[in-house]
Parts: sequence; C-alpha cells; structure tokens
Amino acid sequence: MTTTDISPAAQPAGTTPGSGLGTIQEPAISALTKFRQRYMAQYIAIAPFYILFAIFGLFPIIFALYLAFQNWDGIAPMEYVGLAQFEYLLTDRLFYDSVLNTLIIWVLSTVPMLAFALVLAFMLNQSIRGKSLYRIGFFIPNVTSIVAIAIVFGSLFGNQFGLINALLRSIGADQIGWLTSDWGIKLTVAAMVIWRWTGYNAIIYLAGLQAIPDDLYDAAKVDGADTWRLFRDITIPLLRPVILFTVITSTIGGLQIFTEPQVLFGDSSGGPGSAGQTMVLYLYDQAFVQNQFGYGAAVGWGIFVVVLAFSIINWRVLNRPAD
Amino acid sequence: MNTRWRVRLLPLAATPLLLTGCTVPAQFRSRSDPDAVTLWYWNRSIEPELFRQYERDHPGVRIDDQIIGGDYSAKLRTVLAGQTAIPDIVAFNDNIATYFRAEEQFADLYEYGLGEVENQYLGWKWGAGVTPSGKLMGFPMDTGPIALFYRADLFEQAGLPSDPDEVSARMSTWEDFYAAGQQLQSAIPGTFLLDSANEVYISSLRQSADYYVTRDDLYIGDGESVRRSWNLGVQAAQLGVVARTNTFTSDWSAAATTGALATFVNAVWMKAVLADSAADTAGRWRVAQAPGGAGNRGGSFLGVTQASQKKELAADIIRSIQSPAGQVVGYTSLDLYPAAPAALTDPALQQPEKFYGGQNTNEVFAIAAENVPDFYYSGADDVLHPIFTDEMTNVAILGKDPEQAWADAQSQVRREVRHKMPWVRFEEA
Repeated sequence: MTTTDISPAAQPAGTTPGSGLGTIQEPAISALTKFRQRYMAQYIAIAPFYILFAIFGLFPIIFALYLAFQNWDGIAPMEYVGLAQFEYLLTDRLFYDSVLNTLIIWVLSTVPMLAFALVLAFMLNQSIRGKSLYRIGFFIPNVTSIVAIAIVFGSLFGNQFGLINALLRSIGADQIGWLTSDWGIKLTVAAMVIWRWTGYNAIIYLAGLQAIPDDLYDAAKVDGADTWRLFRDITIPLLRPVILFTVITSTIGGLQIFTEPQVLFGDSSGGPGSAGQTMVLYLYDQAFVQNQFGYGAAVGWGIFVVVLAFSIINWRVLNRPAD
Repeated sequence: MNTRWRVRLLPLAATPLLLTGCTVPAQFRSRSDPDAVTLWYWNRSIEPELFRQYERDHPGVRIDDQIIGGDYSAKLRTVLAGQTAIPDIVAFNDNIATYFRAEEQFADLYEYGLGEVENQYLGWKWGAGVTPSGKLMGFPMDTGPIALFYRADLFEQAGLPSDPDEVSARMSTWEDFYAAGQQLQSAIPGTFLLDSANEVYISSLRQSADYYVTRDDLYIGDGESVRRSWNLGVQAAQLGVVARTNTFTSDWSAAATTGALATFVNAVWMKAVLADSAADTAGRWRVAQAPGGAGNRGGSFLGVTQASQKKELAADIIRSIQSPAGQVVGYTSLDLYPAAPAALTDPALQQPEKFYGGQNTNEVFAIAAENVPDFYYSGADDVLHPIFTDEMTNVAILGKDPEQAWADAQSQVRREVRHKMPWVRFEEA
C-alpha cells in the first residue's frame, strides 16, 4: 500500500563494461559489444526524443491512469478507491455538460470559421493589389496573445458597457447578455476562436488554391461560368483534401478549448450556468482548483474517450474512397 | 529536407537534457546558497525590504525570498508531494485549511515559541491559522476586513446621509441597506448597490461565524448561517438593487467610473483596486461600516515546513517580519492590512486619503477588523463555496427558482462531499 515511490529513473543496465579492448571476452559479451559498436550511435541519436517522450508523454499517461484509481488532494497520502472515480464520472452531470458545451462551441466556431476562411482565401487568390498585406493582416490574430484577446473580447462583449451592446442599443435593438446568458457565452467564446483562426485557415486554403491549375478556371470561363460556379464546381471539389485537413485540425483545437473561457471569466467556472465550461477547463477546475487530482485524472480519461470517438469519425471520413 | 533537419537538430535538442542531467543537485535551489533560508510567497504579499532588514540585523543569515508566480498552491503541492526542493518558509492564502489535512508536513509553530506573541494579534485571525488538532500552522500576515464603499455625492443627491458615521448607523442591516438602495434607484435611475447577488451572499457569509463545515468536520452548509446569507442574496436580486456584472471585469470598472455602481461591500484591499479602476471618481467615495456587521475576506499566513532544517531560525524570521512593526511597513508599502491591533493604531495608518475625500478610512476598517467573528474556513470550502455561488448566479442572472437552486446546491454538496471529501460528516436526519 505504501508504494508511492514511482521514480522514473530506472538505471540503464550495463553502463560500465569495465573491460579493456585487448582482453578475451565471452562470445555473448562480444556479440553485445558488436551490437553496440554497430548501433549505439543510432540509438543515441534517437534517444533524446524517447527520453523526452518517456518523461513528458509516457510517464504522465501511466501516472494519470494510476491516479484515476486514487483519491488524492496533492499532499495528503493517496487513498485507493477502485473504480469510484469513474463511477462518479459516468454520473457527473457537470462533466456531460462540459462535453456538450465543448461540442456546441466547436460547431459554433468551426463552421463559420471555415466558411469565412474559404471565402477569404478565394478572394485573396484573385488578382488584387496589396495581397501580401492582406495575408499578413489575416494571419496576425493567430499570433496574438490569447490572453490579450480574451481581455479585449471581455470588454467588447461586456453586458452594460460593452461595445457590441452599445452598437445594438444605438440601432434600437435590445442588448444581449453576452457574458451572462447561456448562448451569449457560447457565442462569445466561439467568436474569439473564429477571430483567431479564420486567417490561419485562409492561408492554408490559399496554398491549396494555388495548386489548382489556372487552365481549369480558364476553360470554365470560356464555357461561360460565373464566379459562383467557378467556386462551387472547381474550387471546392479540388480543395477537398485541404478542407478535410482543416476540419481535423479544427477538431483537435476545438476539443481542447480552455484559455478563452478561463480568461474571459477569470476563473474556472465557465461563467453563469457554467455555459462556457469546456472539458479541459473542467479537468483543470477539478484537479488544480479543487485539488481533486484523482478525479481530475478520471476526467482526463473521459476526455480521452471523447477525443478517441472523434478521431475514429475523422479516420472513417478520411478513408472514404474518393468518388 | 524534413528528416535531414531533424537529424541535425537532434543533438541540439539533447544538449539541455545532458547539461541538466549532469548538474542537477539534490535540491533545485534557485540560487546556490545552501545556508540561506528559503521562503516562498507571491507577489506583493510581503514587503521584501523586511527580509533585507532582518539580514542586516542578523549578520550571517541570508533569506532567499522567492516570488512564486502562476499557480502558487499547485507549485507548493508539487514540491511537497515530491519531497524535494521544499522551502523553509511558505506563505498560505486564506484557504490555509486546505493544508490542514496534511498538517504533518508543516511545523507546529507553538513548539518554536511563537505562542508568546499570540496576544499581540487579532484572536480570529490567529485562530484561523491553528489546525483542528491545535497546531499553529499559519502565523498571521495580513487581513481583509470588509466595509461599505459608497459614493457620497450620489447619496447626497438621493437625499441619503453622506457622512460615514451617519451611513454606518442608517445602514447597519442588509434590509436597511436595500431600502436605501431603492431610495437611491428612484432618485437616480440606473444605479446599483452591488455588482451581483453573490457579493451580498459572500459578504454576509463572511460576517458570520459559521461557514460550511465546523472544526470537527460537520457539514453545516444547510444551517441557519448559510441560509440567511443565501436569502439575503436572493432578496437583493429580487429587489433589483444589484447589477449583473462581475467584480474585477472591465464592466465593473466601467460601472464604478460612471456611477452606475453607487456602493459595494468588499475588503480593505479593494481600496487600491477602486482607485486604479475608477480614478476619475477620486474624492467622491467614502467608507462606512458594512451592513450586517464586521467580516473578513482574504488575508494570508506564513508557515514553516517539516522538511526544513532551520525551523528555529525560520520561526524567528516569521516572528520578526510579521511583528506589529513589520506589519506597519507592509501596510505603508503594499497596503497589506495588519493583523496586529498595535499596528492598527499606529500613526502611519491614520492618514487622510484623497481618493476618499480626506477620510481616514482606517478608522472604519480597524473597528471592522476587531469585530470579525471567530470563523472557520474549512478545507472543504474551496469545493463547497462555488456550488452555492454558481447556484446564486443561476438565480440572479438566469432566473432560476431560488428554492430549486437551494435544493440543487444541497444535493450537489452531498454528491461531491461523499465522493471527494468523505471525512466531512452530515448530521443524521
């Protein structure tokens, strides 16, 4: 029960052969030496990745699995609780809410974002002046500090004194509780994601567009196709692999949304009604705010299952025979 | 090109690993001074000059004071769990009780003679640093007595008293305060007393001796004290005297600047926050006793770890830098409100403040500090409190039925406690 010593520093075996070159060696050792001489350099060359992966990838995964069977507040001794954490997870309304919130925010952000990005890329691909300026301009949001974005959006979408509500009032519309209502919160978080990632995706689409030969467009134009027809019948079909790629990267990003709602509300509650509480934010809340590391680990495995499900869907879609 | 570059970069990537692999000492001291007393605190929680003063007074002693940024409690838990690089002295926040269940990790400061100065500090503050088993784990640093901040000009305009003493007398209960708020709202439409119903709930709870769990781990969050505070919050929402913003947001700053927020009840450390976020309103604010009585929000402690090899010296450093005189220095340089009554009466604290129209606000806070009830902020509070504030938000902002919200909070408490903190007991019904 007291096996809390899980040091990852197992001593590599046989670091000191200690025998000189001239001595006669047993055949087994000589084979080992030969093996070493031949492959050691390669193993050393790939070692850094595996060492780093073992420390920062493998060990945390194994430890998280171990932790999910414990009750631990971070300092008091761990207490083995069997499957209790998972049992609780399966009946935890807050966890399901956080999964649902994540998916809703993901759809609310990804669909308009990719649509905007495609249109932007299509427009950037036309012969217009100052192309690089636009390209840089659209990419800048992506390299802006996300914390700064969240603070600015918090001001823009403020209920009483936010700029968006001031605009709404000036055109005679009702103000919206952006940061206090269920959908307001989700839309605000989605807006931040859209603002940040549209340009990034547009640049990727642009690269895809430039790979489409001009002859196709020229031929279609000769046949009398208008811009919309060009876009619908040439651009989109030929861009399909690139679109799939952006859908996958957006899925990966979307399932990990964390900073936006965290900074927007200044804590890990996800705002009123927990409408902005995403899966990862919930994990953080349980593990690092409430110091429930055992349960936090179980939530982590819950997230793993959700991500796995989406990976399978993605994989299926990708492997669909192209028609 | 890719693979080639990766191969070339590999040795580079390995370099830091090899370097650290060769030089990591047993203890990750940030400065290589094994004789120094290490101390962990967060920014602006202790005036660093006090450490230098101690070093000057005690030649040969060096204090390695490290400001720990980011998530302080996660980092402290990490070194305690790993039993390595543990500092000698650590600061605790007002949730010190979350460490009580690991009390064997910290020294009992009574064993190092700090009980001698117990009578120099406010009783409730001292008691908050004592574990249920009677060990002195946290030595008093600063406190957060609460008071009513109000706009004297708006009060005058609404025909309310504007003198702090008169305001204190007129709005001594929350009900009186709400009545004044309604008078204010009918005179100046669009004004509010507080930024949210939760502010009422939190302040009122902090004015009572009973929070959520007693010192012997009995759940009392369904008891009279929490219920009364809950009702006051609901009442504020229903009367419409509270706004729907959140403290520390730009909406809050805007409300405080424009006068939409005519009053608020909060701790003494809001003085600086207010002066920063609503600089344009300088001279118009005053401070009076909080409706509902004295209470405390926030404040911190210093403790010594069991792993420390210099407990005697560490305890002496704490005693010295947090002496009443040391706390006066903390107040004058960082606005840290003292926990020692002798410091509260120090002339350095009795200053007219321009932002508050020349009022000496310390008169108000000192009275509040002396009258805070002897509360117990349990190790479960960090889990239980958000359950109630979340439900209060549901009532005040999303329009949830208050009774339903209360029932939901109670059932959620039972669920989470059973699962996460089985040591909390429920009274058998």
